[in-house]
Amino acid sequence: MNISKDLIEKYHRNECSTEERDAVEAWLFSNHTDEGLQLPLGESKAAHKADIWKGIEDILPKEEQEHLSVACQPEEIPVGLPATAKLTHNFWMGAVAATIVIGLTGLGVVQLQKNREQTDPALVSVNNTSTIKVHHLEVNDYTLAVGTNTSAKIDNLTGVVDLAGSILISPKKDMTLSFEGSPEKIIFKKDQTYIILKGKEGTDQIIVSEKNLMDLPPVLQKQIINEFNI
Amino acid sequence: MNSISKRSLFFIFILLSGLFGCKPTPSVSENEDQNKYSIYILGKDGKEYLLESNQLDSGLLLPEKDGVPLNTREMDRSMIVKNGYYYHLNRKKAALIKYAIKADQLQEVQSMPLAQFSIENYHWLGGDTLLLTGLGRPDFKQVKYSMLNAGSMKPISEGNMEIPVPSGRFDNMSVGFVKKQGSKLLVGYTYHQQLGISNYTTSDTTYITALNYPQMTAVKTVKDTRSTYPGGVNTVQLSAFNDAQGDFYFMACPGIALGNRPELPTAVMRINNGATVADPHYFFNLSSAIGNHAYGMWNLGDGKAIVRAERKDLFKGLGDHYSTPHFEFYLIDVKNNKVLKKLALPLDKGTRRECVLLKDNIAYISVNSSSEGNYIWKYDLKSGALTKGIQLAGNTDFILRIDKLR
Repeated sequence: MNISKDLIEKYHRNECSTEERDAVEAWLFSNHTDEGLQLPLGESKAAHKADIWKGIEDILPKEEQEHLSVACQPEEIPVGLPATAKLTHNFWMGAVAATIVIGLTGLGVVQLQKNREQTDPALVSVNNTSTIKVHHLEVNDYTLAVGTNTSAKIDNLTGVVDLAGSILISPKKDMTLSFEGSPEKIIFKKDQTYIILKGKEGTDQIIVSEKNLMDLPPVLQKQIINEFNI
Repeated sequence: MNSISKRSLFFIFILLSGLFGCKPTPSVSENEDQNKYSIYILGKDGKEYLLESNQLDSGLLLPEKDGVPLNTREMDRSMIVKNGYYYHLNRKKAALIKYAIKADQLQEVQSMPLAQFSIENYHWLGGDTLLLTGLGRPDFKQVKYSMLNAGSMKPISEGNMEIPVPSGRFDNMSVGFVKKQGSKLLVGYTYHQQLGISNYTTSDTTYITALNYPQMTAVKTVKDTRSTYPGGVNTVQLSAFNDAQGDFYFMACPGIALGNRPELPTAVMRINNGATVADPHYFFNLSSAIGNHAYGMWNLGDGKAIVRAERKDLFKGLGDHYSTPHFEFYLIDVKNNKVLKKLALPLDKGTRRECVLLKDNIAYISVNSSSEGNYIWKYDLKSGALTKGIQLAGNTDFILRIDKLR
């Protein structure tokens, strides 16, 4: 199925049939993300690519920038993506797809950057603008469920999390994370699942163990139970 | 000795061995029959346990040794406890499941399908007849009910209650209490508006609808703007009771842990015996008396109750509301609108917990203290003496609920 701008917008409005939704999501998370994409008149892939790399260079670690500027080769990183199978995500193609999709439609994407000396990618960045689907990721140190309408960036080198929305994180070992804008370091225990909520409007950040879900107001409990199918 | 005699002797030997050869041990069921209380524990490592005990007055219990571990993928502390059984809605199996502890395990006894249902309130209508009131999933807009025989776990009836769905700016709702009043069923509720991923607000109004019973059709709805969020989810924590005169007392809880309208007062309100609306002349403003919001109210009889109040000077927000010890217990006189005293207990943690039981003029109060440990305290209603009862130690982090099991 050709993935047109109209179809993507239809997806965004939650008006797709099951078949259409599957096609859009297959396109979104495939390694050939621009296959069949019909860009609007006046927009060129080259321009999008340039924008992508400009954006990436700003946030990449220096070593990675050097590597990319010299080699300009994609790295393959094993990541647990939505659905059951673990897919190998192509950084280059993913990034291209990411920016194109964000630019055109605002759909969710997964973007990973690998530091060659680390086991996990240096940066896990997910922008899930789906209003329906939660995205599930798995890296060596934790699993992550990224809620709907959520932007989450976890810098695995510094432990800094930049979040707008809701995530569930399940560390595989004890981890210390801090949150953008706050110096406070928070310990996340191995084998427990934590619910983290942070409003885009800058409301209070809420971090609770899944075990304490019922301590949250029932309105928030219901939202979390529904969203993450707890 | 002939072969028959030999066989007879052998048989008698086996019989006697069976009678005297083994040390007699009481069966598990005999032990369980004595257990009058259950205690639900959240461990420091995230494991959860159920313990049963025949007393709460003294001693020490270790959940990892004395309790049964729970499968937390299926079980949580939102439950109904009665006659030795635990009733819990398993969302993933879409079934109400009846459990009992047998052979050191929480075992499923029976179950009944209950799909697309989120329990807001349970109400025993007499005998084994259980009325569950909830909201339809996944949008939490339609008030639904399921009536069943909890003995046989057979459905009696189910359907929608004729209560208006959220409209205008409101997109979801909460049912806070359900009370049978003669041939009517009174349902207290309010509406919410989601403002963001971690923020919401609530209508400034408490709604009480009188329904024909058992048709569940609406007779009338009364709006009361003195406060909001009536009651609470009573499978997690009680906040309403009937007194001996048949008057019904319920809390209105606009604090951040329920209504999130903290500018409105936490209050006790009353529906008089036979009435279908809240008494317009009765309003016990707890916020002005205590200086804080409160959640959770337990009847002690004779017009007295215990309420559990937060300390806004000790927590920052919802993020540390459950983990910071800041809760205090107050003895109140609901008939005369008076706070009698603050109980001299350590500060308690856990935003909502089922934590008070009454037996023979003793109120048992579970407290999770960071400094003094996890104890069930005893408050003697006659003498006013407050002493420590049974201790929960070992892996215990939170005593999440205590219940009268039988």
